[in-house]
Amino acid sequence: MSLSGMAAALVEAWTELRIHRARILLALVGVALSVAALTAVVALADMARAAMAQGSEAQSGRPATVSVSAYPNDGSPADTAALREAYDATVERYSVKHASLFFPTVIPFQFPDGVVQIQTSVVDVDYGTMRRVKLDSGTWFTEADAERFAPAVIVNEAFHARLGYPDLDADPVVEIRNGSHPVDAVVTGVRPNLYPEESASAYLLTGAYDRLGTADNGSVPMLELWVPEDTAEALQHAITADLAAQFPGMQPNVYRSDYAAWGDPYAVMTLVVGGIAGMVMLLGAVGLLNISMVTVKHRVREIGIRRSFGATSGRIFFGVMLESVVATFAAGVLGVMAAVAVVKLPVVQQQVAFGVTELPPFPVEAALLGLGAATAVGALAGLIPALVAVRVKVIDAIRY
Amino acid sequence: MTGLASEVSVQPGAGAEPEYVRRSLISLEQVTRSVMLPDGKNLTILDGVDLQIHGGDHVSVVGRSGSGKSTLLNILGMLDLPTSGQMEFDGIPVESMNPNARAVRRGSAVGFIFQQFNLLPERTAVENVMTPLLYARGRSFWQRERIAAQMLDRVGLGSRLHEKPQKLSGGEQQRVAIARALVRGPQLILADEPTGALDIGTGQAVMALLQEVVAESGAALVTITHDPNVAALADRHFLLDAGRLSAGEEAA
Repeated sequence: MSLSGMAAALVEAWTELRIHRARILLALVGVALSVAALTAVVALADMARAAMAQGSEAQSGRPATVSVSAYPNDGSPADTAALREAYDATVERYSVKHASLFFPTVIPFQFPDGVVQIQTSVVDVDYGTMRRVKLDSGTWFTEADAERFAPAVIVNEAFHARLGYPDLDADPVVEIRNGSHPVDAVVTGVRPNLYPEESASAYLLTGAYDRLGTADNGSVPMLELWVPEDTAEALQHAITADLAAQFPGMQPNVYRSDYAAWGDPYAVMTLVVGGIAGMVMLLGAVGLLNISMVTVKHRVREIGIRRSFGATSGRIFFGVMLESVVATFAAGVLGVMAAVAVVKLPVVQQQVAFGVTELPPFPVEAALLGLGAATAVGALAGLIPALVAVRVKVIDAIRY
Repeated sequence: MTGLASEVSVQPGAGAEPEYVRRSLISLEQVTRSVMLPDGKNLTILDGVDLQIHGGDHVSVVGRSGSGKSTLLNILGMLDLPTSGQMEFDGIPVESMNPNARAVRRGSAVGFIFQQFNLLPERTAVENVMTPLLYARGRSFWQRERIAAQMLDRVGLGSRLHEKPQKLSGGEQQRVAIARALVRGPQLILADEPTGALDIGTGQAVMALLQEVVAESGAALVTITHDPNVAALADRHFLLDAGRLSAGEEAA
């Protein structure tokens, strides 16, 4: 088709839309609503999925997180120093980019109302990235924090409340009652409570914990590795073999701990939401097809007149099709805008992403899907009327 | 490109006649058109029609209702094909053209004027006249609004470019239809009962205008009519009776 032919087809389609705007607007309300529903449902599902994934990642790590530990076969205390050396060697040997020790312990902190044994996670700097730790205030540990004379400690909201909500800008100090050698630690960050009744807890860097010289409580340190999903399985086998060789009297425990280790837990939700969205769009398409068919029946005479003035069957087909596609695309744009407006409402976002540290953005895929579906519906709803239009008998149409 | 689409060459005194004038434009030899009825019988609508039309001819065809006038017009305009016989348009056998080629040729070479005007509703006069130019190429397409406005001005509707058909009188609507038929500068104008929906006075005025602008363009005009007064305006007359075409008296 020549440039003027293409332009003429667009001019024709636009003129038809302009002339029949009232009818088309009514027809397109249904399509716009369908697209808005489709886009919103897909976007909300996507955001809910992202929110749930974030929650899961905070609990068990991001895909693929490999947890490494080893326990003595005879139940005797583990040689934690040797284990940690082995962990360091593992990280180095396999060039793991993100790794963290995870060592749950209990540390006595001095509060205004007395000393309290606080559940403390001894971790490395990478842990914040690996577990998506988001803070209400302050910053997560950096490598420089490992060198601090007064150890940095990151606390949860309950801990912060127990201290009386001190301003972090003032470098609030909390004393670690470390036997006869109390140490002043500086609170450098506060993370929100993971659930309403969470008790006070804290994070401490591995280096800082080591310098406390706290007596070994027999807990086995765990190593967490964040690795590409396609290498996780091979890595598990290799590390298991390494540890088994290095510690003959211990049982290596190497496994994927992230939520995705057992397949996609959201596959069913995706299928259900996709099915609902498809049905919504199908209803919109049927409504549009119905109106398009009625419209073509009313335009038989006009089509005949156009044919008498030289319109080829291809031009008639393309014209009717283009009208439908242009109209539904415009409706799709409006529908997507409406969906974005609804999904961005704070009340909706709170419902979808409750308790999530990083609010998922509006998924671009949902917007593209909405526009694509609108265009596809336009093409489908335009196809049958276009075929009907091409079959119009010119002679009969002129006398219509 | 000939005639009006190239700058509305229908202007009075536009100059020499186009080169196709007096050349054989349409040739029908033993053309028949028949249709199969639902009961399986064959109905012959046109029977052995012979007709030669040259550029610049003004031909009238009269006949009673059901005599096959509209079928003949549809065949002349390549909207329909003969069942048998030979038809050539501008020297090319029509049956050798595929449907798209016929549509393109029809768009560029044939203008239709209908009894009921057949203007597109909800479109202004100038938009109606522009419609055939949507199927043209190049300058005729890109400058379609200016060309259509000039054409409407030529038929005396320069001040009513943006009126919709429902706001125009019958005579004005038919003048818009004439402008639309002529806007691409066709070689052949087919007018089907052009005054059938008009009163006598308006009909005469419209026919006078039609003859004038067609004569300026050098196109052939075939008028199908019941009205002997309209038929009398033609140079050559034909009578169609039960599908058979016979020559009438030649104009003086």
